[in-house]
Amino acid sequence: MTLAGKPDVNLPGGAWASDRDYCPTLTPAGARMLAKLRSHPCAPWYRNRSGNKLLAGEVEALRVYEQEVMDAVVAWSAAAPPSWLPDFLKVTYATVPHYRACGSPPSRLADVAPISRAELAHDIAAFVPDDADLARMINFQTTGTTGHPLLIASHPLVAGRYRAFHKRALRRFGVILRHGAGQVGVMLLGHQRRCFTYVSVTPTMNESGLAKINLHPDDWREPDDRARYLDAMAPELIAGDPISFAELLTLPMTHKPAALLSVSMMLLPGMRARLEQRFGCPVLDIYSLNEVGPVAVYDERAGGHVLLQHRLYVEILDSAGQPVPDGARGEITVTGGFNFCLPLVRYRTGDYASLAHGPDGPVLAGLAGRSPLRYRTAQGQWINNIDITHALKPLAIALFGVHQHGDGSVALRLAPGAMPQADQARALLAPFFGVVTVETLLAEDKIIQYTSDLREAAV
Amino acid sequence: MNTLGPLLEILTHRLADTPVEFLAEPRIAGVANAQAVAVAALVNDIVLLHGARAPATSLQGFIGAQVKADRNRLALAMILCWLLADEWFIGQQLPQHDLLQVLGEAARELAASTPAHQFTQDPERREELARIVLARLGFRPRDESVAQATDRLSAISGTERRRLLEASRLAEQRSREIREALAKKAAEESADKWSRE
Repeated sequence: MTLAGKPDVNLPGGAWASDRDYCPTLTPAGARMLAKLRSHPCAPWYRNRSGNKLLAGEVEALRVYEQEVMDAVVAWSAAAPPSWLPDFLKVTYATVPHYRACGSPPSRLADVAPISRAELAHDIAAFVPDDADLARMINFQTTGTTGHPLLIASHPLVAGRYRAFHKRALRRFGVILRHGAGQVGVMLLGHQRRCFTYVSVTPTMNESGLAKINLHPDDWREPDDRARYLDAMAPELIAGDPISFAELLTLPMTHKPAALLSVSMMLLPGMRARLEQRFGCPVLDIYSLNEVGPVAVYDERAGGHVLLQHRLYVEILDSAGQPVPDGARGEITVTGGFNFCLPLVRYRTGDYASLAHGPDGPVLAGLAGRSPLRYRTAQGQWINNIDITHALKPLAIALFGVHQHGDGSVALRLAPGAMPQADQARALLAPFFGVVTVETLLAEDKIIQYTSDLREAAV
Repeated sequence: MNTLGPLLEILTHRLADTPVEFLAEPRIAGVANAQAVAVAALVNDIVLLHGARAPATSLQGFIGAQVKADRNRLALAMILCWLLADEWFIGQQLPQHDLLQVLGEAARELAASTPAHQFTQDPERREELARIVLARLGFRPRDESVAQATDRLSAISGTERRRLLEASRLAEQRSREIREALAKKAAEESADKWSRE
């Protein structure tokens, strides 16, 4: 039997008894929230268990941290780097095995050799500080698109800190979250054949509900239950990626959340516009990485992605590791961060943008994942992949891939749901490539968006 | 250690006063720093100051190739260059082989476990470095007998070596524990995040 006194049809055996393992501060009210999420007649099959894992003292610490993040000003520049940097370098070189092996702390950040995902994948333990508490350590796992699977060392407090940066991002768009006891705060969406799904509560918001659900029909008794459940739970915030949002657009739900948070992959403006129109709320495009957490949020008025973390320093490096001038494109490279289990020093993210400074602080302009690639046009000129992104902006598509074959022909791959926009896509790319083939994209997860068989494509 | 050297304090004071130029970054391939010091050239200068010549092949080891393997060793070699440029050492006109042994092997051994700049900042490390350099070159501090110099060197160096060995053992153990701690967690069960990257 469940806490709510109903048969446990929705969970692996014994799961109910262990809620406090996942939510150590759980109160009867929180338990009722879990029961509400699980036992609604339209609820999906929750296939997994997870939770906030926060201890009482940590809940209080998170409240203080959230205030610090909301009050912080991010206003450094290359000429005036943040004041915390020297001490951060000193402590990192004293306590992190990888850096300790490199000798004395350098006097300038520029003297640190950048690292990349490959180094973290080779031996993550070398990047974990001596004082990180192994008993509370958790991991975030990512496969990415670079062929280097990663286990990121983390901590429940670090997971909890994400919320502070999301709240800071939401505030830019005038959204102040108000959910509390008895309400569902956040619904995380996936749309995959296999997806990790669970329910939890958020103790810093008086145990409001949190659920990770999979919109794939296989996870529901009836496909129509998806909209019914979302309407019944009425989450204040919905987070997902463009793929799950594309599916959300097909559902006849009537509930209007306060905001949508899009992470994980590029959100094209056409897709954002459709979502904003459909749900009547701001749709935030968050640049976030497992290794770093939420880095920046897109704000058209600021001209790009505005940085969110007050203790994260961002450089843009060329392929030789030299910082490029403001306004020039290069690889986003980060130092600092809020994950005290993994302090980063000049970590090359694998993503590309240029940096600009304005009234909103540092802004990443023209952000694009993976290294830039050139495409040869039908006229024999070379254009950057960012030009293709710009060309496709009017489309309301969740995901696409563009591949140039060795003979110069170009194939555009679109998800099945986006195929009705194939003609428009062809027309948008015709000025560059003439006739473009449109193929169906069957991948359900991240893909490498821009690829080419041409040797001269790498830039 | 049969030959009398200078007063130890002269050398430890010199280490404490190491100019910033000798504490700068050593040049390492792949690290973009136009101001970084070419340590091979610096070593060549020191050998010349002692009236010797270093064949190009013997300087190869002072060209930095990898940060993790070379940065600390070369940073210490730079500090040793400063020490060996002391007028007392110059007055000895040390043989090329001995100089390269100290700048190469001694630096490699000591840098394996101690950040180079600690040999200028920490009084005990300054004494350790001064004593080791003297001993490797066959000298002892001016006011010490052979027995005293041997005892003090083994005391300061031995204690440090034992500490470092223990630290190394603990580091390996912790590294293993971190890998085990991460491996045993089911990835997605980790903890709530408001978004998934």
